[in-house]
Amino acid sequence: MKKLCIGILVSLVSHFLLAQSNGYTQLKLTDLSDFQSQSGNWQNVGEVTIDPYVDIHQENVESTQKRRKKNQPASRQAVMVESGSGILVNLPSEDKKSNLLTSWEHGDIELDLEVMLPKGSNSGLYLQGRYEIQLFDSYGVRNPKYSDIGGIYRNWESAPDKSYMGKAPLTNAAKAPGLWQRLQVSFRAPRFDESGDKIENARIIKAVLNGVTIHENVEIPLPTGGPVQNNEVAMGPIMIQGDHGAVAIRNFKYKLMHDLDTELSDLTYEVFHGIFETFKEVLAADNPVTTGEQSELTWEIANRDNDFAIRYKGTLQITEDADYIFSGSVGGQGLLKVAGEEVARGWRNFKGTKNLQAGEYPIELMYFKTRSWMDPFLGLKISSPTGHEKALSAFSSHPSSVSAVAPILIRPQGNQPRLLRAFLDFEGDRDRRITHSIGVGSPTGVNYVYDLQRGNLACVWKGDFVNATPMWNDRGDGSFRPLGMIQYLYLGQSVAGQIRSKGYTVNPETGFPTFNYEVNGHQVSDQVYESDSKVIREVSLTGVSGRFEVTESSVIERMENGLYTIGDQEYYIELMSGQSPEIIQEDGVTKLVLPIDSNPIKYAIIW
Amino acid sequence: MKLLNYIAAFSLSLVSMLAFAQPVEEDYYQMVTIPAPEGVLLEVGGLATLPDGRVAISTRRGDVWMVENPYMRAGEVPRFTLFAQGLHESLGLAHYQNSLFTAQRGELTRLEDSNGDGMADVYETVFSWPLSGHYHEYSFGPKIDSEGNMYVTANVAFGDQEWWRGESRVKWRGWTMKISQDGEMTPWATGMRSPCGIGLIDGELFYDDNQGDWIGSGAIWHVKKGAFTGHPAGLKWSDEPNAPVEVNQETFYSTFDERRIKDDGRAIKPANIQNEKDPLTMVKARETFPEITLPAVWLPHAILGVSNSEILKDETNGGFGPFAGQVFVGDQGQSKIMRVALEKVNGEYQGVAFDFRSNFQSGVLRMAFGKDGSLFVGETNRGWGSAGPANSGFERLVWTGKVPMEMKTVKAKPDGFEIEFTRPVDIESAKNPASYVGQSFTYKYHSVYGSPTIQNESLKIRGVKVAEDGMSVRLVVDNLRPYFIHEINTPGVKSAEGALPVLHPRAYYTLNNIPDGIKLKDSELSMRPKTPVKKATPINKPKPVSTASNSVLSDEEVKPLLQKNTCSACHKMNMKVVGPSFKDIAKRRYSNERIVELIYSPEPENWPNYATPMAPMPQVPKDEAMKIAAWINSLRSGD
Repeated sequence: MKKLCIGILVSLVSHFLLAQSNGYTQLKLTDLSDFQSQSGNWQNVGEVTIDPYVDIHQENVESTQKRRKKNQPASRQAVMVESGSGILVNLPSEDKKSNLLTSWEHGDIELDLEVMLPKGSNSGLYLQGRYEIQLFDSYGVRNPKYSDIGGIYRNWESAPDKSYMGKAPLTNAAKAPGLWQRLQVSFRAPRFDESGDKIENARIIKAVLNGVTIHENVEIPLPTGGPVQNNEVAMGPIMIQGDHGAVAIRNFKYKLMHDLDTELSDLTYEVFHGIFETFKEVLAADNPVTTGEQSELTWEIANRDNDFAIRYKGTLQITEDADYIFSGSVGGQGLLKVAGEEVARGWRNFKGTKNLQAGEYPIELMYFKTRSWMDPFLGLKISSPTGHEKALSAFSSHPSSVSAVAPILIRPQGNQPRLLRAFLDFEGDRDRRITHSIGVGSPTGVNYVYDLQRGNLACVWKGDFVNATPMWNDRGDGSFRPLGMIQYLYLGQSVAGQIRSKGYTVNPETGFPTFNYEVNGHQVSDQVYESDSKVIREVSLTGVSGRFEVTESSVIERMENGLYTIGDQEYYIELMSGQSPEIIQEDGVTKLVLPIDSNPIKYAIIW
Repeated sequence: MKLLNYIAAFSLSLVSMLAFAQPVEEDYYQMVTIPAPEGVLLEVGGLATLPDGRVAISTRRGDVWMVENPYMRAGEVPRFTLFAQGLHESLGLAHYQNSLFTAQRGELTRLEDSNGDGMADVYETVFSWPLSGHYHEYSFGPKIDSEGNMYVTANVAFGDQEWWRGESRVKWRGWTMKISQDGEMTPWATGMRSPCGIGLIDGELFYDDNQGDWIGSGAIWHVKKGAFTGHPAGLKWSDEPNAPVEVNQETFYSTFDERRIKDDGRAIKPANIQNEKDPLTMVKARETFPEITLPAVWLPHAILGVSNSEILKDETNGGFGPFAGQVFVGDQGQSKIMRVALEKVNGEYQGVAFDFRSNFQSGVLRMAFGKDGSLFVGETNRGWGSAGPANSGFERLVWTGKVPMEMKTVKAKPDGFEIEFTRPVDIESAKNPASYVGQSFTYKYHSVYGSPTIQNESLKIRGVKVAEDGMSVRLVVDNLRPYFIHEINTPGVKSAEGALPVLHPRAYYTLNNIPDGIKLKDSELSMRPKTPVKKATPINKPKPVSTASNSVLSDEEVKPLLQKNTCSACHKMNMKVVGPSFKDIAKRRYSNERIVELIYSPEPENWPNYATPMAPMPQVPKDEAMKIAAWINSLRSGD
């Protein structure tokens, strides 16, 4: 377990550093001082191990505070913890099952945390103590509901104007019990007028679970079931449900956000017509065709779409001290000065940061355009680490940059899997593009990509199959993007030697392929199929000797139930054939290998 | 009924009267759009007629469709069934011994329906080649010879910074591969840039390429083993033990500057050198590297296509009309089909190319003859733009049974050319030397994208001899130039019956070899009158336009100029085709002088949304370029 701990430590440190630079605050989780008092079901521990096979409703949950003894008979407990800190765990019992509330309150917030659930467990994260994002063991669910992990929970009011039915996540991005799951939420609190009447609903700007967007720009019009109070407020604590089941949380970071009061005023402008190639020329220009005053920045005062320059001057009102980020985008070149100093300049985009105390500052913006093939536009936005981005330019001055291409989404039809070859960028990295690969999408939403060049499984994912827009729109680049909750395995051959792909045959009954290849002239046949939310791989090797690499990662651990946890509790391997596995260190990574004998190799990937 | 028709005909407008007089392509070859089920997108990459008459189509989307009754007999719509799916942008399909073979991006695949349920269940990799993963690494084919050997061609990638430069990042990009049925691969030839069209003609391998760097214009090459057809990227692998090409890439680049220019660390795209003295041509380069294989037939860029595709011999024995044994060549950008007649002179293939049929709904990529002699045409423009406005299509071209008035073929003779016609000519028109005009030109061989036509010279037509049966004429030309493309235009020739003009009056003959033999004597020829008669029929010439040189031409007046200078091959008034519409160009507010400059040295980077860069056109006469520029600017309204 040593390596794992180091791994966690390293990731904690790096998260912490990252957190600092982004304005995030990380909960220490060395004690419970960030939270209000509770009955004792919540504690800080150093490690949590969950047996994914044990349902919490079928066992008597007991924590072992002491270090487990290796020879102790396996007691099939769902949750085992080791003392220490860094992880917050809830182990409720009949008499101790408090909800946990933060000692601080929030309005707009960005949250980033990791959660682990045992089989069958249920918890929830209430934003402002009122809007619940469900935490639930939804492993294996095909069509998630509001009550599955990531769902916005419903309430139980019966009056039509009080009833809210919740919202299911866009896709089920749940991992298997016992694996860490990352949840990122950007939340906008409801707004109220001076008399306290709500004028804007609470809103999930974006929620991402395990890398998959599950909500985007969704309003929550009413508190969901079981709030701290059945009202809506500007500020409230986060509440984590403690009375339904065990849950562990780590890497809990947050950032309180607010609207900036920054304003631009006293705007005056000068417009010059002519061909400008440098800002020096723009500065030297002294024959404006128009001058005037304005309330918002816009290029439209140029009154033509090319060969012009604009000089804006104005006053920037700043109400709080912060490192301000100015980002501009122009069809042409732009330059921004604040308080007499250049903050940013650039072609198409410019971005710069400036520390400003509350007060008033002169601001100057120059924009020129002499490339006729571009559209003219001018946009300027300001933000701070905790201040929402705010446009300082007129809406009409900056058209939406959203691509209007209708996405080409591929899914299996009927009860047969969909096979599709394309390039795959391993872990999204173009430099690790797999050029001879095939995606297999099953009708149950369990999908994988097989690397035909290396004779190996490259990745598995759950959810929708692939987005083929990058391959098929316009000229395309030959690649697709997996759509769901993905687990990459490793880029390399399962068996060492000269590989020659022989393609695949398709089972006419199931529609699943069997891949065939040769290693140094010996036949290998490789079946990969979906079963019960797992991906099963069965490999027959004829005349091949040596070893078979199942997977590799930074850390591989064998659990007491025989499963192997890979990486930082990212996924499991279940060995199903009889060969004696070995965990070896090689080339700076940890590998799980099997000796090749006359029997087929069979294992499952569970994630 | 007849009377009614008569009256109707008389009441027709003048325009349609003219339409009667001027035959058009569809009078002879009719296009039938084959209806596909809603939602079935046929961006055709491969097309094969099966022995039972069904047509198999492979698509960019990776599907292989079987089309039953594509002939739509009995008025029934064709039935589409999905035979295979999931292929990686398949760009070819061939049937051989109960299997279908297709080139995917990274491999040659055999598809077989082993259990007889109509769906492929075997997707066998016959041979797999490496890829770098660049988008332009398309692979085409196969074509299968009588012994089952399969030919596949491989596109080059482009540079990361030097996006204009073809690169062979991995073996065997830029090559033709020969692959046996049991998966043995022999590198066959290199020099390929974008070899979309492969053809086996009488057992010999041909391919065509598109204009680009080192490829001055599209053309068709006869590809013998060990050939080097011009693009040097693939030479990177010529030192491999199994490579049959001897030209060493380093030697090549140290002989011919590839113009890798850097300015302050930034790569500069090489531009055409205007008024270049003694520019390099492929012929000249061949003196140093004898392995360079010259095109058998040039397909002058923008006239006979901009992105050539399928090469297909007419083996219908007349089922498809009067061109049996000739070769059809598709074009994606111009959405049309050209016709090529090959002949062997001094043991080498060369020949002539004509326009044949235009106005397909999208880019013509693949062709296959059906059992009834009609031609199936598979189409896509897949992001490159095409004259046909749709992004994809599956059409069928059917001969109406009428014989068009065409030059059937043009053959090289020791003193000029022999033109064979499809129908007897009107002797009077055919024997008049003024009925023929022409020019010869060639292209540069350089690392610049495309080439202008260079060294243009008008043909000096000495005289004409018309055969007694009126089916052919001998044209004696004083200034034949070996290796040059000879354009022969027959504006004055009419058919004996109906006085029809030649439907496609321009022939482009690539004169690599001039045959030996007996030349015609002047006494056998009808020759030009010694003193030129001013009234000599100026046929098809642009109407004289208003004399005031500063007045802008009208749309009608500019048309002949746009056609003559091949502008209209890529630009239309209101619509994006291969290039931007003239109206969009006008919106850029270039001065007339600047437009002329851009005609001579285009800056494709100004048009980032257009995939095919414009080639420099310095051959457009300055006064005409100015007129075109002024007309373009007149299209801008309202300021």
